[in-house]
Amino acid sequence: MDDRSTDSDPVTAGESSILDTLGEDVIRIVSPVSLCMLLVVLLVSSLSSTNDLSSSISSLFLSSTTPTSFSSLNLLLLGSDSTWEEIKSALITALSFVVVVTLLTFLLVLLFYFRCTSFLRIYMGISSLFVLSFLGGFISLLLISHFKIPIDPLTFAILLFNLSVVGVFAVFMSKFPISMNQGYLVAIGVLTAYWFTMLPEWTTWALLIAMSLYDLAAVLLPVGPLRLLVELAMSRNEEIPALVYEARPVDPQLGDRVRVWRETTDVSIEATENSTNSANVQTVQETRLAVSEEITAPLIEAFPQTGDRHLGTEEEEDGIGLGSSGAIKLGLGDFIFYSVLVGRAAMYDYMTVYACYLAIMAGLGVTLLLLAVYRKALPALPVSIMLGVVFYLLTRVLLEVFVVQCSSNLLMF
Amino acid sequence: MEGRDDQPTADVESGAARLRPSAVRSRGAVTWPSVDGPLGVSWEEAETSARRFFFWGFAFLPLLWAVNCFYFWPVLVSKASPSSSPHFNRIRSYVVWSSIGFLIFGVLLTAWALTFAIGGEHLFGPMWKDLVMYNLADKLQLTGWM
Repeated sequence: MDDRSTDSDPVTAGESSILDTLGEDVIRIVSPVSLCMLLVVLLVSSLSSTNDLSSSISSLFLSSTTPTSFSSLNLLLLGSDSTWEEIKSALITALSFVVVVTLLTFLLVLLFYFRCTSFLRIYMGISSLFVLSFLGGFISLLLISHFKIPIDPLTFAILLFNLSVVGVFAVFMSKFPISMNQGYLVAIGVLTAYWFTMLPEWTTWALLIAMSLYDLAAVLLPVGPLRLLVELAMSRNEEIPALVYEARPVDPQLGDRVRVWRETTDVSIEATENSTNSANVQTVQETRLAVSEEITAPLIEAFPQTGDRHLGTEEEEDGIGLGSSGAIKLGLGDFIFYSVLVGRAAMYDYMTVYACYLAIMAGLGVTLLLLAVYRKALPALPVSIMLGVVFYLLTRVLLEVFVVQCSSNLLMF
Repeated sequence: MEGRDDQPTADVESGAARLRPSAVRSRGAVTWPSVDGPLGVSWEEAETSARRFFFWGFAFLPLLWAVNCFYFWPVLVSKASPSSSPHFNRIRSYVVWSSIGFLIFGVLLTAWALTFAIGGEHLFGPMWKDLVMYNLADKLQLTGWM
Protein backbone atom coordinates (compact mmCIF):
# COMPACT_ATOMS: atom_id res chain seq x y z
CA MET A 1 0.00 0.00 0.00
CA ASP A 2 2.84 2.32 0.85
CA ASP A 3 4.62 1.63 -2.42
CA ARG A 4 1.46 2.38 -4.32
CA SER A 5 0.95 5.70 -2.65
CA THR A 6 4.51 6.88 -3.20
CA ASP A 7 4.48 5.64 -6.76
CA SER A 8 1.19 7.21 -7.66
CA ASP A 9 1.78 10.60 -6.11
CA PRO A 10 4.19 12.09 -8.67
CA VAL A 11 2.36 10.47 -11.59
CA THR A 12 -1.20 11.34 -10.69
CA ALA A 13 -0.55 14.61 -8.96
CA GLY A 14 -2.73 16.77 -11.16
CA GLU A 15 -4.31 14.34 -13.59
CA SER A 16 -6.14 11.12 -13.51
CA SER A 17 -6.04 8.48 -16.17
CA ILE A 18 -9.04 7.27 -18.06
CA LEU A 19 -9.13 4.12 -15.96
CA ASP A 20 -9.99 6.09 -12.85
CA THR A 21 -13.24 7.33 -14.31
CA LEU A 22 -14.12 4.46 -16.65
CA GLY A 23 -15.87 2.30 -14.06
CA GLU A 24 -17.75 5.26 -12.67
CA ASP A 25 -18.93 6.33 -16.12
CA VAL A 26 -20.20 2.87 -16.94
CA ILE A 27 -21.94 2.61 -13.58
CA ARG A 28 -23.64 5.94 -14.14
CA ILE A 29 -25.26 4.61 -17.27
CA VAL A 30 -25.91 1.09 -16.04
CA SER A 31 -27.70 2.17 -12.82
CA PRO A 32 -30.60 4.05 -14.44
CA VAL A 33 -31.08 1.27 -17.00
CA SER A 34 -31.16 -1.29 -14.19
CA LEU A 35 -33.49 0.88 -12.12
CA CYS A 36 -35.87 1.25 -15.04
CA MET A 37 -35.90 -2.51 -15.60
CA LEU A 38 -36.40 -3.21 -11.90
CA LEU A 39 -39.39 -0.86 -11.69
CA VAL A 40 -41.00 -2.38 -14.77
CA VAL A 41 -40.51 -5.89 -13.38
CA LEU A 42 -42.04 -4.83 -10.05
CA LEU A 43 -45.00 -3.23 -11.81
CA VAL A 44 -45.58 -6.24 -14.04
CA SER A 45 -45.33 -8.76 -11.26
CA SER A 46 -47.45 -6.84 -8.79
CA LEU A 47 -50.22 -5.96 -11.21
CA SER A 48 -50.61 -9.30 -12.92
CA SER A 49 -50.79 -12.22 -10.54
CA THR A 50 -50.55 -11.85 -6.77
CA ASN A 51 -52.70 -9.63 -4.63
CA ASP A 52 -50.42 -8.11 -2.03
CA LEU A 53 -47.10 -6.36 -2.17
CA SER A 54 -45.17 -8.58 0.23
CA SER A 55 -45.86 -11.79 -1.59
CA SER A 56 -44.93 -10.30 -4.94
CA ILE A 57 -41.61 -9.06 -3.57
CA SER A 58 -40.89 -12.38 -1.86
CA SER A 59 -41.57 -14.30 -5.04
CA LEU A 60 -38.97 -12.12 -6.72
CA PHE A 61 -36.36 -14.00 -4.72
CA LEU A 62 -37.94 -17.43 -4.63
CA SER A 63 -38.28 -17.75 -8.40
CA SER A 64 -41.07 -20.27 -8.61
CA THR A 65 -43.07 -20.90 -11.73
CA THR A 66 -46.17 -18.74 -11.73
CA PRO A 67 -49.60 -19.73 -13.01
CA THR A 68 -49.08 -17.69 -16.14
CA SER A 69 -46.47 -20.10 -17.42
CA PHE A 70 -49.02 -22.90 -17.40
CA SER A 71 -51.46 -20.84 -19.38
CA SER A 72 -48.92 -20.13 -22.09
CA LEU A 73 -47.98 -23.82 -22.12
CA ASN A 74 -51.64 -24.67 -22.63
CA LEU A 75 -51.81 -22.25 -25.50
CA LEU A 76 -48.87 -23.93 -27.16
CA LEU A 77 -50.36 -27.36 -26.69
CA LEU A 78 -53.98 -26.63 -27.56
CA GLY A 79 -53.96 -25.39 -31.08
CA SER A 80 -51.16 -24.76 -33.47
CA ASP A 81 -53.68 -22.91 -35.63
CA SER A 82 -54.28 -20.29 -32.98
CA THR A 83 -50.55 -19.89 -32.47
CA TRP A 84 -50.01 -19.51 -36.19
CA GLU A 85 -52.76 -16.88 -36.31
CA GLU A 86 -51.13 -15.08 -33.44
CA ILE A 87 -47.74 -15.18 -35.13
CA LYS A 88 -49.17 -13.78 -38.34
CA SER A 89 -50.96 -10.93 -36.61
CA ALA A 90 -47.85 -10.25 -34.55
CA LEU A 91 -45.68 -9.98 -37.65
CA ILE A 92 -48.16 -7.67 -39.35
CA THR A 93 -48.38 -5.45 -36.25
CA ALA A 94 -44.62 -5.29 -35.86
CA LEU A 95 -44.10 -4.51 -39.53
CA SER A 96 -46.68 -1.75 -39.54
CA PHE A 97 -45.15 -0.28 -36.39
CA VAL A 98 -41.71 -0.20 -38.00
CA VAL A 99 -43.14 1.42 -41.13
CA VAL A 100 -44.89 4.09 -39.06
CA VAL A 101 -41.75 4.76 -37.07
CA THR A 102 -39.65 5.07 -40.25
CA LEU A 103 -42.10 7.54 -41.76
CA LEU A 104 -42.21 9.59 -38.58
CA THR A 105 -38.44 9.65 -38.31
CA PHE A 106 -38.16 10.88 -41.88
CA LEU A 107 -40.73 13.54 -41.01
CA LEU A 108 -38.59 14.47 -38.02
CA VAL A 109 -35.53 14.78 -40.26
CA LEU A 110 -37.53 16.99 -42.64
CA LEU A 111 -38.75 19.24 -39.85
CA PHE A 112 -35.28 19.50 -38.41
CA TYR A 113 -33.94 20.34 -41.86
CA PHE A 114 -36.39 23.21 -42.16
CA ARG A 115 -35.44 24.41 -38.68
CA CYS A 116 -38.85 23.94 -37.06
CA THR A 117 -37.20 23.21 -33.73
CA SER A 118 -39.75 25.15 -31.67
CA PHE A 119 -42.54 23.07 -33.16
CA LEU A 120 -40.62 19.92 -32.34
CA ARG A 121 -40.01 20.99 -28.77
CA ILE A 122 -43.68 21.88 -28.24
CA TYR A 123 -44.70 18.54 -29.71
CA MET A 124 -42.32 16.70 -27.45
CA GLY A 125 -43.52 18.66 -24.44
CA ILE A 126 -47.10 17.71 -25.20
CA SER A 127 -46.23 14.07 -25.71
CA SER A 128 -44.28 13.79 -22.45
CA LEU A 129 -47.17 15.56 -20.67
CA PHE A 130 -49.44 12.94 -22.19
CA VAL A 131 -47.24 10.10 -21.03
CA LEU A 132 -46.77 11.45 -17.53
CA SER A 133 -50.37 12.48 -16.90
CA PHE A 134 -52.54 9.97 -18.78
CA LEU A 135 -50.32 6.95 -18.73
CA GLY A 136 -49.02 7.79 -15.25
CA GLY A 137 -52.54 8.34 -13.99
CA PHE A 138 -53.73 5.12 -15.59
CA ILE A 139 -50.95 3.04 -14.06
CA SER A 140 -51.31 4.66 -10.65
CA LEU A 141 -55.05 3.98 -10.78
CA LEU A 142 -54.25 0.34 -11.54
CA LEU A 143 -51.93 0.27 -8.53
CA ILE A 144 -54.50 1.99 -6.29
CA SER A 145 -57.23 -0.42 -7.33
CA HIS A 146 -54.97 -3.41 -6.91
CA PHE A 147 -53.64 -2.54 -3.47
CA LYS A 148 -56.78 -0.79 -2.26
CA ILE A 149 -54.99 2.40 -1.24
CA PRO A 150 -57.50 4.75 0.46
CA ILE A 151 -56.73 7.93 -1.39
CA ASP A 152 -59.34 10.54 -2.20
CA PRO A 153 -59.86 12.14 -5.62
CA LEU A 154 -58.69 15.60 -4.54
CA THR A 155 -55.31 14.45 -3.27
CA PHE A 156 -54.90 12.18 -6.26
CA ALA A 157 -55.67 14.99 -8.71
CA ILE A 158 -53.32 17.44 -6.99
CA LEU A 159 -50.48 14.92 -6.87
CA LEU A 160 -50.96 13.85 -10.48
CA PHE A 161 -51.16 17.41 -11.74
CA ASN A 162 -48.08 18.49 -9.81
CA LEU A 163 -45.96 15.50 -10.71
CA SER A 164 -46.77 15.60 -14.41
CA VAL A 165 -46.34 19.36 -14.90
CA VAL A 166 -43.10 19.44 -12.93
CA GLY A 167 -42.02 16.40 -14.95
CA VAL A 168 -42.51 18.23 -18.22
CA PHE A 169 -40.46 21.12 -16.87
CA ALA A 170 -37.78 18.77 -15.60
CA VAL A 171 -37.36 17.07 -18.94
CA PHE A 172 -37.26 20.18 -21.06
CA MET A 173 -35.88 23.07 -19.09
CA SER A 174 -32.14 23.08 -18.94
CA LYS A 175 -32.12 24.99 -15.66
CA PHE A 176 -33.45 22.18 -13.55
CA PRO A 177 -31.82 19.85 -11.07
CA ILE A 178 -30.02 17.13 -12.98
CA SER A 179 -31.17 14.42 -10.60
CA MET A 180 -34.82 15.32 -11.17
CA ASN A 181 -34.28 15.41 -14.93
CA GLN A 182 -32.76 11.94 -14.83
CA GLY A 183 -35.44 10.64 -12.45
CA TYR A 184 -38.26 11.85 -14.64
CA LEU A 185 -36.67 10.40 -17.78
CA VAL A 186 -36.49 7.03 -16.04
CA ALA A 187 -40.12 7.46 -14.96
CA ILE A 188 -41.24 8.16 -18.54
CA GLY A 189 -39.30 5.08 -19.64
CA VAL A 190 -40.96 2.93 -16.98
CA LEU A 191 -44.47 4.11 -17.87
CA THR A 192 -44.03 3.64 -21.61
CA ALA A 193 -42.38 0.25 -21.16
CA TYR A 194 -45.19 -0.96 -18.92
CA TRP A 195 -47.71 0.13 -21.53
CA PHE A 196 -45.84 -1.84 -24.18
CA THR A 197 -45.86 -4.99 -22.07
CA MET A 198 -49.65 -4.90 -22.20
CA LEU A 199 -49.49 -6.00 -25.84
CA PRO A 200 -49.99 -9.69 -26.59
CA GLU A 201 -46.97 -11.93 -26.25
CA TRP A 202 -46.06 -12.72 -29.85
CA THR A 203 -46.58 -9.09 -30.83
CA THR A 204 -44.15 -7.91 -28.19
CA TRP A 205 -41.39 -10.25 -29.31
CA ALA A 206 -41.94 -9.50 -32.98
CA LEU A 207 -41.90 -5.79 -32.17
CA LEU A 208 -38.65 -6.03 -30.24
CA ILE A 209 -36.86 -7.90 -33.02
CA ALA A 210 -38.29 -5.61 -35.69
CA MET A 211 -37.24 -2.48 -33.80
CA SER A 212 -33.70 -3.73 -33.25
CA LEU A 213 -33.35 -4.50 -36.97
CA TYR A 214 -34.80 -1.08 -37.77
CA ASP A 215 -32.36 0.57 -35.36
CA LEU A 216 -29.47 -1.23 -36.98
CA ALA A 217 -30.56 -0.12 -40.44
CA ALA A 218 -31.49 3.44 -39.52
CA VAL A 219 -28.22 4.25 -37.81
CA LEU A 220 -25.69 2.45 -39.94
CA LEU A 221 -27.06 2.67 -43.47
CA PRO A 222 -26.09 5.91 -45.25
CA VAL A 223 -29.73 6.46 -46.23
CA GLY A 224 -31.01 5.76 -42.71
CA PRO A 225 -33.04 8.57 -41.13
CA LEU A 226 -31.18 8.54 -37.83
CA ARG A 227 -27.83 8.87 -39.54
CA LEU A 228 -29.14 11.78 -41.64
CA LEU A 229 -30.40 13.44 -38.50
CA VAL A 230 -27.10 13.07 -36.73
CA GLU A 231 -25.17 14.43 -39.68
CA LEU A 232 -27.54 17.39 -39.95
CA ALA A 233 -27.12 18.18 -36.28
CA MET A 234 -23.36 17.85 -36.54
CA SER A 235 -23.10 20.12 -39.54
CA ARG A 236 -25.23 22.77 -37.93
CA ASN A 237 -23.74 22.51 -34.45
CA GLU A 238 -27.18 22.19 -33.00
CA GLU A 239 -28.67 19.84 -30.52
CA ILE A 240 -31.50 17.63 -31.61
CA PRO A 241 -34.65 18.21 -29.54
CA ALA A 242 -35.21 14.74 -28.15
CA LEU A 243 -35.55 12.74 -24.98
CA VAL A 244 -32.10 11.56 -24.07
CA TYR A 245 -30.69 10.37 -20.80
CA GLU A 246 -27.37 12.02 -20.15
CA ALA A 247 -25.29 10.58 -17.38
CA ARG A 248 -23.67 13.05 -15.08
CA PRO A 249 -20.02 13.55 -16.05
CA VAL A 250 -17.63 12.14 -13.49
CA ASP A 251 -15.18 15.00 -13.45
CA PRO A 252 -17.03 18.23 -14.00
CA GLN A 253 -14.81 20.85 -15.44
CA LEU A 254 -15.39 24.55 -15.19
CA GLY A 255 -18.47 26.49 -15.98
CA ASP A 256 -21.46 25.51 -18.01
CA ARG A 257 -22.01 22.43 -20.03
CA VAL A 258 -20.12 23.47 -23.08
CA ARG A 259 -20.64 21.68 -26.32
CA VAL A 260 -17.84 19.41 -27.40
CA TRP A 261 -17.88 20.22 -31.06
CA ARG A 262 -18.02 23.97 -30.62
CA GLU A 263 -14.74 23.72 -28.83
CA THR A 264 -13.34 21.46 -31.46
CA THR A 265 -13.94 24.03 -34.16
CA ASP A 266 -11.90 26.52 -32.18
CA VAL A 267 -9.13 24.02 -31.78
CA SER A 268 -9.20 23.07 -35.43
CA ILE A 269 -8.62 26.65 -36.57
CA GLU A 270 -5.25 26.55 -34.93
CA ALA A 271 -4.39 23.01 -35.80
CA THR A 272 -5.39 22.69 -39.43
CA GLU A 273 -1.84 22.75 -40.73
CA ASN A 274 -1.20 19.22 -39.61
CA SER A 275 -4.46 17.73 -40.71
CA THR A 276 -5.08 16.08 -44.01
CA ASN A 277 -7.70 17.08 -46.53
CA SER A 278 -10.45 14.62 -45.80
CA ALA A 279 -13.09 15.94 -43.45
CA ASN A 280 -13.36 12.70 -41.55
CA VAL A 281 -9.76 12.70 -40.45
CA GLN A 282 -10.09 16.34 -39.49
CA THR A 283 -13.06 15.79 -37.26
CA VAL A 284 -11.39 12.82 -35.64
CA GLN A 285 -8.26 14.81 -34.98
CA GLU A 286 -10.14 17.80 -33.66
CA THR A 287 -12.20 15.79 -31.30
CA ARG A 288 -9.24 13.77 -30.17
CA LEU A 289 -7.47 17.02 -29.30
CA ALA A 290 -10.55 18.23 -27.48
CA VAL A 291 -10.88 14.99 -25.61
CA SER A 292 -7.30 14.91 -24.49
CA GLU A 293 -7.12 18.55 -23.47
CA GLU A 294 -10.50 19.31 -22.14
CA ILE A 295 -12.38 16.39 -20.85
CA THR A 296 -11.23 13.20 -19.22
CA ALA A 297 -14.20 11.35 -20.62
CA PRO A 298 -13.19 7.82 -21.39
CA LEU A 299 -14.59 6.42 -24.50
CA ILE A 300 -16.03 8.21 -27.35
CA GLU A 301 -16.68 11.24 -29.36
CA ALA A 302 -19.99 10.43 -30.83
CA PHE A 303 -23.12 12.25 -31.51
CA PRO A 304 -26.66 12.10 -30.25
CA GLN A 305 -29.12 10.44 -32.51
CA THR A 306 -32.82 10.36 -32.57
CA GLY A 307 -35.42 7.81 -33.30
CA ASP A 308 -39.15 8.06 -33.31
CA ARG A 309 -40.79 5.61 -31.04
CA HIS A 310 -44.08 4.89 -29.34
CA LEU A 311 -46.48 5.17 -32.25
CA GLY A 312 -45.47 8.69 -32.99
CA THR A 313 -46.78 10.28 -29.85
CA GLU A 314 -43.32 11.14 -28.65
CA GLU A 315 -39.80 11.34 -29.86
CA GLU A 316 -36.97 9.75 -28.02
CA GLU A 317 -33.43 9.31 -29.03
CA ASP A 318 -32.01 5.97 -29.71
CA GLY A 319 -28.46 4.95 -29.62
CA ILE A 320 -25.50 5.86 -27.59
CA GLY A 321 -23.11 8.72 -27.79
CA LEU A 322 -21.13 11.29 -25.90
CA GLY A 323 -22.91 14.25 -24.44
CA SER A 324 -21.79 17.81 -24.67
CA SER A 325 -20.11 17.75 -21.29
CA GLY A 326 -18.30 14.49 -21.88
CA ALA A 327 -20.84 12.16 -20.34
CA ILE A 328 -22.39 9.12 -21.95
CA LYS A 329 -25.77 9.68 -23.55
CA LEU A 330 -28.28 6.91 -24.02
CA GLY A 331 -31.56 7.39 -25.83
CA LEU A 332 -34.82 6.87 -23.99
CA GLY A 333 -36.01 4.41 -26.63
CA ASP A 334 -33.27 2.05 -25.53
CA PHE A 335 -34.41 2.26 -21.91
CA ILE A 336 -37.94 1.49 -23.01
CA PHE A 337 -37.17 -1.52 -25.18
CA TYR A 338 -34.78 -3.08 -22.69
CA SER A 339 -37.45 -2.74 -20.02
CA VAL A 340 -40.12 -4.15 -22.34
CA LEU A 341 -38.00 -7.24 -22.89
CA VAL A 342 -37.39 -7.74 -19.19
CA GLY A 343 -41.03 -6.99 -18.35
CA ARG A 344 -42.23 -9.57 -20.83
CA ALA A 345 -39.72 -12.03 -19.37
CA ALA A 346 -41.19 -11.25 -15.94
CA MET A 347 -44.59 -12.33 -17.19
CA TYR A 348 -43.25 -15.84 -17.60
CA ASP A 349 -41.01 -16.38 -14.61
CA TYR A 350 -38.30 -14.67 -12.63
CA MET A 351 -35.63 -17.00 -13.97
CA THR A 352 -36.05 -15.50 -17.42
CA VAL A 353 -35.84 -12.05 -15.82
CA TYR A 354 -32.40 -12.73 -14.39
CA ALA A 355 -31.18 -14.30 -17.62
CA CYS A 356 -32.48 -11.46 -19.78
CA TYR A 357 -31.09 -8.83 -17.40
CA LEU A 358 -27.62 -10.32 -17.66
CA ALA A 359 -27.94 -10.61 -21.43
CA ILE A 360 -28.97 -6.97 -21.79
CA MET A 361 -26.15 -5.76 -19.56
CA ALA A 362 -23.69 -7.81 -21.57
CA GLY A 363 -25.10 -6.33 -24.76
CA LEU A 364 -24.78 -2.83 -23.34
CA GLY A 365 -21.18 -3.51 -22.43
CA VAL A 366 -20.45 -4.78 -25.93
CA THR A 367 -22.09 -1.69 -27.41
CA LEU A 368 -19.99 0.61 -25.23
CA LEU A 369 -16.90 -1.29 -26.30
CA LEU A 370 -17.81 -0.95 -29.97
CA LEU A 371 -18.44 2.72 -29.35
CA ALA A 372 -14.91 3.08 -28.01
CA VAL A 373 -13.50 1.29 -31.03
CA TYR A 374 -15.52 2.85 -33.84
CA ARG A 375 -16.03 6.34 -32.38
CA LYS A 376 -19.27 7.11 -34.14
CA ALA A 377 -22.96 6.99 -33.40
CA LEU A 378 -24.03 3.43 -32.77
CA PRO A 379 -27.39 1.72 -32.28
CA ALA A 380 -27.74 0.44 -28.74
CA LEU A 381 -30.68 -1.87 -29.39
CA PRO A 382 -29.56 -4.70 -31.68
CA VAL A 383 -26.88 -6.46 -29.63
CA SER A 384 -28.79 -6.31 -26.33
CA ILE A 385 -32.18 -7.27 -27.78
CA MET A 386 -30.79 -10.17 -29.80
CA LEU A 387 -28.84 -11.50 -26.81
CA GLY A 388 -31.92 -11.00 -24.62
CA VAL A 389 -34.20 -12.88 -26.97
CA VAL A 390 -31.73 -15.75 -27.36
CA PHE A 391 -31.26 -16.02 -23.59
CA TYR A 392 -35.01 -15.89 -23.02
CA LEU A 393 -35.60 -18.77 -25.42
CA LEU A 394 -32.73 -20.82 -24.02
CA THR A 395 -33.85 -20.23 -20.42
CA ARG A 396 -37.44 -21.04 -21.13
CA VAL A 397 -36.72 -24.16 -23.14
CA LEU A 398 -33.61 -25.58 -21.53
CA LEU A 399 -32.68 -23.97 -18.22
CA GLU A 400 -36.07 -24.08 -16.59
CA VAL A 401 -36.49 -27.80 -17.01
CA PHE A 402 -33.03 -28.34 -15.56
CA VAL A 403 -33.57 -26.07 -12.57
CA VAL A 404 -37.02 -27.43 -11.78
CA GLN A 405 -35.77 -31.01 -11.92
CA CYS A 406 -32.83 -30.18 -9.68
CA SER A 407 -34.99 -28.28 -7.19
CA SER A 408 -37.71 -30.90 -7.01
CA ASN A 409 -35.10 -33.57 -6.37
CA LEU A 410 -33.50 -31.35 -3.72
CA LEU A 411 -30.23 -31.42 -5.56
CA MET A 412 -29.42 -27.72 -6.02
CA PHE A 413 -30.97 -24.23 -5.83
CA MET B 1 -13.08 28.12 -10.77
CA GLU B 2 -12.66 28.01 -7.02
CA GLY B 3 -14.30 24.63 -6.90
CA ARG B 4 -11.34 23.04 -8.60
CA ASP B 5 -9.05 23.94 -5.72
CA ASP B 6 -10.69 21.23 -3.70
CA GLN B 7 -9.68 18.51 -6.10
CA PRO B 8 -5.95 17.87 -5.55
CA THR B 9 -6.45 17.66 -1.81
CA ALA B 10 -8.92 14.82 -2.14
CA ASP B 11 -7.80 11.23 -2.27
CA VAL B 12 -6.38 10.57 -5.70
CA GLU B 13 -6.42 6.80 -5.51
CA SER B 14 -10.14 6.49 -5.13
CA GLY B 15 -11.87 8.34 -7.87
CA ALA B 16 -15.08 8.34 -5.92
CA ALA B 17 -13.83 10.97 -3.52
CA ARG B 18 -13.39 13.39 -6.36
CA LEU B 19 -16.99 13.14 -7.41
CA ARG B 20 -18.06 16.73 -7.38
CA PRO B 21 -16.31 19.76 -5.98
CA SER B 22 -18.13 20.91 -2.95
CA ALA B 23 -20.60 23.69 -3.57
CA VAL B 24 -20.06 25.17 -0.13
CA ARG B 25 -16.62 26.29 0.82
CA SER B 26 -15.31 25.78 4.29
CA ARG B 27 -15.74 29.42 5.30
CA GLY B 28 -19.51 29.20 4.82
CA ALA B 29 -19.81 31.13 1.59
CA VAL B 30 -21.01 29.42 -1.56
CA THR B 31 -19.33 29.22 -4.93
CA TRP B 32 -22.21 27.74 -6.90
CA PRO B 33 -25.82 28.72 -6.29
CA SER B 34 -27.39 25.43 -7.29
CA VAL B 35 -27.13 21.93 -5.98
CA ASP B 36 -25.60 20.79 -9.26
CA GLY B 37 -22.52 22.84 -8.61
CA PRO B 38 -20.44 23.65 -11.67
CA LEU B 39 -22.91 21.83 -13.90
CA GLY B 40 -25.75 24.06 -12.83
CA VAL B 41 -26.72 27.64 -13.46
CA SER B 42 -24.74 30.80 -12.95
CA TRP B 43 -25.72 33.41 -10.38
CA GLU B 44 -27.71 35.59 -12.77
CA GLU B 45 -29.60 32.67 -14.25
CA ALA B 46 -30.14 31.39 -10.72
CA GLU B 47 -31.98 34.53 -9.74
CA THR B 48 -34.21 34.32 -12.82
CA SER B 49 -34.89 30.65 -12.15
CA ALA B 50 -35.66 31.19 -8.47
CA ARG B 51 -38.08 33.95 -9.31
CA ARG B 52 -39.74 31.90 -12.04
CA PHE B 53 -40.12 28.84 -9.81
CA PHE B 54 -41.57 31.00 -7.04
CA PHE B 55 -44.22 32.66 -9.18
CA TRP B 56 -45.20 29.57 -11.15
CA GLY B 57 -45.70 27.74 -7.88
CA PHE B 58 -48.81 29.81 -7.27
CA ALA B 59 -50.51 28.02 -10.16
CA PHE B 60 -51.42 25.09 -7.88
CA LEU B 61 -47.89 23.73 -8.26
CA PRO B 62 -46.41 23.57 -4.76
CA LEU B 63 -44.01 20.94 -6.01
CA LEU B 64 -42.24 23.74 -7.87
CA TRP B 65 -41.63 25.42 -4.54
CA ALA B 66 -40.10 22.21 -3.26
CA VAL B 67 -37.94 22.03 -6.40
CA ASN B 68 -36.89 25.61 -5.78
CA CYS B 69 -35.72 24.76 -2.25
CA PHE B 70 -33.97 21.61 -3.42
CA TYR B 71 -32.24 23.24 -6.37
CA PHE B 72 -30.92 26.20 -4.40
CA TRP B 73 -30.11 24.25 -1.26
CA PRO B 74 -26.57 25.73 -0.93
CA VAL B 75 -28.10 29.19 -0.85
CA LEU B 76 -30.65 28.13 1.73
CA VAL B 77 -28.25 26.64 4.22
CA SER B 78 -25.46 29.17 4.10
CA LYS B 79 -25.34 32.73 5.34
CA ALA B 80 -24.58 35.83 3.37
CA SER B 81 -20.94 36.83 3.54
CA PRO B 82 -19.10 39.77 2.02
CA SER B 83 -17.54 37.54 -0.62
CA SER B 84 -20.80 36.14 -1.97
CA SER B 85 -22.52 37.28 -5.11
CA PRO B 86 -24.90 40.28 -5.05
CA HIS B 87 -27.70 37.99 -6.21
CA PHE B 88 -27.41 35.93 -3.07
CA ASN B 89 -29.88 37.82 -0.93
CA ARG B 90 -32.55 37.99 -3.58
CA ILE B 91 -32.27 34.29 -4.37
CA ARG B 92 -32.36 33.52 -0.69
CA SER B 93 -35.58 35.47 -0.14
CA TYR B 94 -37.32 33.63 -3.00
CA VAL B 95 -36.13 30.28 -1.70
CA VAL B 96 -37.15 30.98 1.89
CA TRP B 97 -40.63 32.07 0.84
CA SER B 98 -40.92 29.00 -1.39
CA SER B 99 -40.03 26.74 1.50
CA ILE B 100 -42.61 28.41 3.75
CA GLY B 101 -45.26 28.01 1.05
CA PHE B 102 -44.39 24.38 0.46
CA LEU B 103 -44.42 23.56 4.18
CA ILE B 104 -47.84 25.14 4.68
CA PHE B 105 -49.25 23.39 1.65
CA GLY B 106 -47.65 20.10 2.60
CA VAL B 107 -49.07 20.20 6.10
CA LEU B 108 -52.56 20.98 4.80
CA LEU B 109 -52.51 18.27 2.14
CA THR B 110 -51.08 15.63 4.47
CA ALA B 111 -53.63 16.47 7.11
CA TRP B 112 -56.48 16.14 4.66
CA ALA B 113 -55.16 12.92 3.13
CA LEU B 114 -54.59 11.29 6.52
CA THR B 115 -58.02 12.35 7.74
CA PHE B 116 -59.57 10.77 4.70
CA ALA B 117 -57.54 7.59 4.91
CA ILE B 118 -57.68 6.99 8.66
CA GLY B 119 -61.13 8.46 9.33
CA GLY B 120 -62.68 6.20 6.77
CA GLU B 121 -66.31 5.34 7.04
CA HIS B 122 -66.98 6.13 10.66
CA LEU B 123 -65.98 9.75 10.09
CA PHE B 124 -67.51 10.36 6.68
CA GLY B 125 -70.33 7.89 6.61
CA PRO B 126 -71.39 5.92 3.53
CA MET B 127 -70.11 8.76 1.34
CA TRP B 128 -66.58 7.51 1.94
CA LYS B 129 -67.17 4.44 -0.16
CA ASP B 130 -68.25 6.57 -3.10
CA LEU B 131 -65.40 9.00 -2.76
CA VAL B 132 -62.47 6.65 -2.36
CA MET B 133 -60.36 6.47 -5.48
CA TYR B 134 -60.54 2.79 -6.33
CA ASN B 135 -64.31 2.72 -6.26
CA LEU B 136 -64.52 6.00 -8.14
CA ALA B 137 -62.18 4.67 -10.82
CA ASP B 138 -64.33 1.56 -11.24
CA LYS B 139 -67.51 3.59 -11.39
CA LEU B 140 -66.18 6.04 -13.97
CA GLN B 141 -64.42 3.29 -15.94
CA LEU B 142 -61.16 5.22 -15.79
CA THR B 143 -58.98 2.15 -16.21
CA GLY B 144 -60.80 0.57 -19.08
CA TRP B 145 -59.97 2.87 -21.90
CA MET B 146 -56.32 2.03 -22.52
